[in-house]
Amino acid sequence: MSTPYYIPDQNVPLPPADADVITTACDYCIVACGYKVYRWPVKGNKVGGEKADQNAFGEDFPVAPLGSWVAPNQHNIVLHDGEPHHVVILPDKDAHFVNTEGDSSLRGGCIAQKCYNPERPTRDRLTAPMIRIYGMLQPVTWDFALDIAAEMGKYVIDKYGTNAYGVKTYSYQFMENTYAITKYALRSINTANFTFHDTPSDVSSTPGFRDAGFDNFGPAYEDWMNAETLLICGTDPYETKTILFTQWIMKGIQNGQKAIFMLPRKTAGVAYAEQNGGLWLDVTPGTDLLVVNAIARIIVENGWQDKEWIKNWVNDKWGSSSGFGQGTRNTPWQWRTTWGKFQTKGFDDWAKWLLAQDEFTLENAAKVSGVDAAKIRLAAEMMAKPRDDGSRPKTSVMIEKGFYWSNNTGNTQAISALGIIVGAGGRPGQVIGRAGGHQRGGVRGGGYPRNKSPMKLPGRRRRALDTDTWTMAGHTRMAHVIGTTWIQSMLGSQQMSARFHELTRGNPHQIQSINREKIIETLKARVDSGGMVVVNQDIYLVDPIGNQFADIIFPAATWGEEDFLRANGERRIRLYQKFYDAPGVAKPDWWIIANLAKKMGFSGFDWENSNDVAEELAKFTRGSRKDFNMVKVAARREGKTLHQKFREMGTNGIQGPVYMHKDGSLEGTIRLHDTTRKLLPDGPTAVNMYNKKLTHFNSQTGKCNIQKSPWSLFSDYWEWMKPKGDELWCTSGRANERWQSGFDDTRRPYIVQRWPDNWVEINTEDAKKRGIESGDMVLLSNDRVPSLKDTTLGVESSDFSFTGQLAKGNVEFSEAAVTAVAMVTRAVKPGVMYMDFLHSSQPANALAGRVVDWISGNYNYKMGIAKITKIGESPYKNTFRSMSFAPRDIVI
Amino acid sequence: MNMSQDVKTQSGMTRKQAAKAVGHKCLVSRRNFLIGAGVTTTIMITLNPGTPQAREVPAQISEYPRKFVAKLSDLKLNEPFDFNYPDEGEYSENMIVRMGVTAGGGIGPDQDVVAFNYACTHQGGSLYDSYKADTKSLGACPLHLSTYDLTRHGILISGQAYQSLPQILLELEGDDIYATGIFGLIFGRKENLHG
Repeated sequence: MSTPYYIPDQNVPLPPADADVITTACDYCIVACGYKVYRWPVKGNKVGGEKADQNAFGEDFPVAPLGSWVAPNQHNIVLHDGEPHHVVILPDKDAHFVNTEGDSSLRGGCIAQKCYNPERPTRDRLTAPMIRIYGMLQPVTWDFALDIAAEMGKYVIDKYGTNAYGVKTYSYQFMENTYAITKYALRSINTANFTFHDTPSDVSSTPGFRDAGFDNFGPAYEDWMNAETLLICGTDPYETKTILFTQWIMKGIQNGQKAIFMLPRKTAGVAYAEQNGGLWLDVTPGTDLLVVNAIARIIVENGWQDKEWIKNWVNDKWGSSSGFGQGTRNTPWQWRTTWGKFQTKGFDDWAKWLLAQDEFTLENAAKVSGVDAAKIRLAAEMMAKPRDDGSRPKTSVMIEKGFYWSNNTGNTQAISALGIIVGAGGRPGQVIGRAGGHQRGGVRGGGYPRNKSPMKLPGRRRRALDTDTWTMAGHTRMAHVIGTTWIQSMLGSQQMSARFHELTRGNPHQIQSINREKIIETLKARVDSGGMVVVNQDIYLVDPIGNQFADIIFPAATWGEEDFLRANGERRIRLYQKFYDAPGVAKPDWWIIANLAKKMGFSGFDWENSNDVAEELAKFTRGSRKDFNMVKVAARREGKTLHQKFREMGTNGIQGPVYMHKDGSLEGTIRLHDTTRKLLPDGPTAVNMYNKKLTHFNSQTGKCNIQKSPWSLFSDYWEWMKPKGDELWCTSGRANERWQSGFDDTRRPYIVQRWPDNWVEINTEDAKKRGIESGDMVLLSNDRVPSLKDTTLGVESSDFSFTGQLAKGNVEFSEAAVTAVAMVTRAVKPGVMYMDFLHSSQPANALAGRVVDWISGNYNYKMGIAKITKIGESPYKNTFRSMSFAPRDIVI
Repeated sequence: MNMSQDVKTQSGMTRKQAAKAVGHKCLVSRRNFLIGAGVTTTIMITLNPGTPQAREVPAQISEYPRKFVAKLSDLKLNEPFDFNYPDEGEYSENMIVRMGVTAGGGIGPDQDVVAFNYACTHQGGSLYDSYKADTKSLGACPLHLSTYDLTRHGILISGQAYQSLPQILLELEGDDIYATGIFGLIFGRKENLHG
């Protein structure tokens, strides 16, 4: 951990002309900018000079703007083959794609600080496997730790069934790892008690996109720039996927693009858009659906919809009834449309429904959402009103978590319909998709065993298990947690923390011996008495899951410490190269899983290195958006390994799905659902495949489903949650500078200096009423946090709704409170507070209800509420070294 | 394919060309401003070991020149005054401003006079003419929108910069303000004093 005292170096060592140059991509946000690592040995004291021929950049210092300047935060010292080496890590100044102009964000720009260096705040990386004995974690050997974990895993599965073994894992930290983890959890163990870091159940993040037939990541980055009107919902890409904004959207705006932002907070990207002819729809949390449908209604009332597009690309009654070609049972779509709540007979049917809902009138939408009616009307005009010559604006729609984690099902259904009627989704510059969060590093090594889930929905099908409720109810006897905090990233965090304690350290059966048999005996007694064993696999000791609750710790190797593959938000796949030694005996997650799996008696884990894993998983990408099976085929033809082939592609990589021509050359896919694309006349030859999504949408007919989005399915929860009395909305999200919240950013002195504590933004008016000033220490409390008690079987159609759960007594209430430093600002909407989404000991998620969206099974994380009270002054109020209380919406 | 790097400004330049041009233009206009203001003569005082003056200067910045910047009584509230430091080379353009609020490193009776380098520590965009009196900030940088808090040692408010804006250390002697050092590496340079 770092203290907030950053003292910048006054000079930096430049890489000498003969430094090693290794390509990689940034580890952080979805954009995955291309980077170059310059590496040279410390011994010999060699450094580059200020003349172009004396340094590895071939540039004279001082460099020109946008040149290869090395900031002190871009240098580090690492071990490579056991010898100390300098590394300077810069955005690739020759990048052809993604971060053109060699641009970088603050987080990626300083990624050299991520590397393990015992003389810097990264010194607390996990370096050895550990077992908790007498309450303290003691280093042991890999063999010993894996042995205990395997014995306990087998015991729990044999005695309590596969669903007693829970796996909670990241979804993104490189394909080789996610493939190994899912192969182990889903294929080998076959547990339904499985989910990813950002959801309580293994379900779609964007149910409406899925139903409409949209891929989350169909668009290319150039499309976001080339749109003439761009609606961005629930994110400011400048803050959280910077280069997507600075290299693409910002240039679009400079070319006249009208960018419309819908979110309750104004940050730099929003301010820039407003300054340049765009619009800020300052929506109250949870009311996005009303604004989206009000915009749609204005468009329909004026006949501004893209009639030609709708005629050609929207399903009619028969088309939508044909669904997704998955049969009539067990498809999410099938269940969701059983009662006719969503499905329509096509555009006319949808429009009739839309116009009949009084809540979507402009007046009502403006009133409930708090967005000025004139701005809603203007947004409709910008998106769809034909010009005098009859031509239409090229309109695109981007969504992200502020939007789809507010009313998960409703918002994503509504935006899909709006996207369809403005003609977004299938043409250059006219696209719809997610902006993205983490990078796309998931490849499934097994299918989710849905039929093992005890959660059965009214009607026909089972739903993926809500692992939080299942664990809180005591059904998880062994929890295997990989690269996530679990507790603080899920809702009702403080109750979860208390319950985890009860199940682990609060249980009387604690290890008090280093004897293998006695340890296993103790842990068996733990689970037999209703307790839980926790295995935690991570790069740092995370509090509390690792630090307080885990019995066994596996230290993981990560970015830069192993060769890995991953895709970005435009499906661009690249090799992230190893350039230094992992700390201690830390191992990549695929290795840990493979050795654990082998000890448990599972076959299919005999990989020698990460390339072996990559070559196995390549075939499982077939048909997916990042299908790169043909890269492997091409590599084989050329006598290369798959990683070797990707290494040659450097920071360019290739966009999936990948096609191989007869001469062995490879061609990527610029965008999915590209209705303007002409595929090769002789079709997919040899082992190539053409997935429907290349030129059509993800439905049986290849056309879009236009669906209804009833407000009533969510309004009971929204009405119940909405602030009462002195409460305010307390929503949350990332801040640009502290994007990598709990791991790397707490170990970067400059970032800790900038953001030394948890913080909450409150509007100037709200603060004044409560006597709060910037820099005050405040307490945010919620005395009515709702949580689900247990997983349930739905019989009647409303059993899973919030009202239904309340009526059945399956909701309990508790209190939560977190502290923060107040930031009084004009840049957040009155009535709304905005907090950093994940401070380890002050999690914003504690203030939101642990109640899943009853249709999708996902959480609506952004629906937090709190009372705010001043409890004193923070040290930052009257000192100048750390933090800033200036607003984030300052324009050029 | 319309790619990002191909996008031209209205004058037909790429952004990289525009950034260079802006930097150059600023430099020229600021020099003109300095000439107009009659501050063409800069005073270099060589530190003399053993004098009280020399002892006031912290050891770590002893190699920086001591340079007259402006008279405190000439500084108008919220009106930045530009000067070059530590030399006349690339990225030596700075501003000094009396902000009317107490600031970290501020001098004067109200500790409200501070000076900062103009080159954005992200990618070297010029922050010339971007002072905002209401927020006491520099920026947003025209290249990638970084903003800096001048009351808090130039810390990044929002944006992409790799560190705070270099703060020029000031000393007040009577009514005369001197620049005596820089805290933080200036963009583009390997070392501050090798401009």
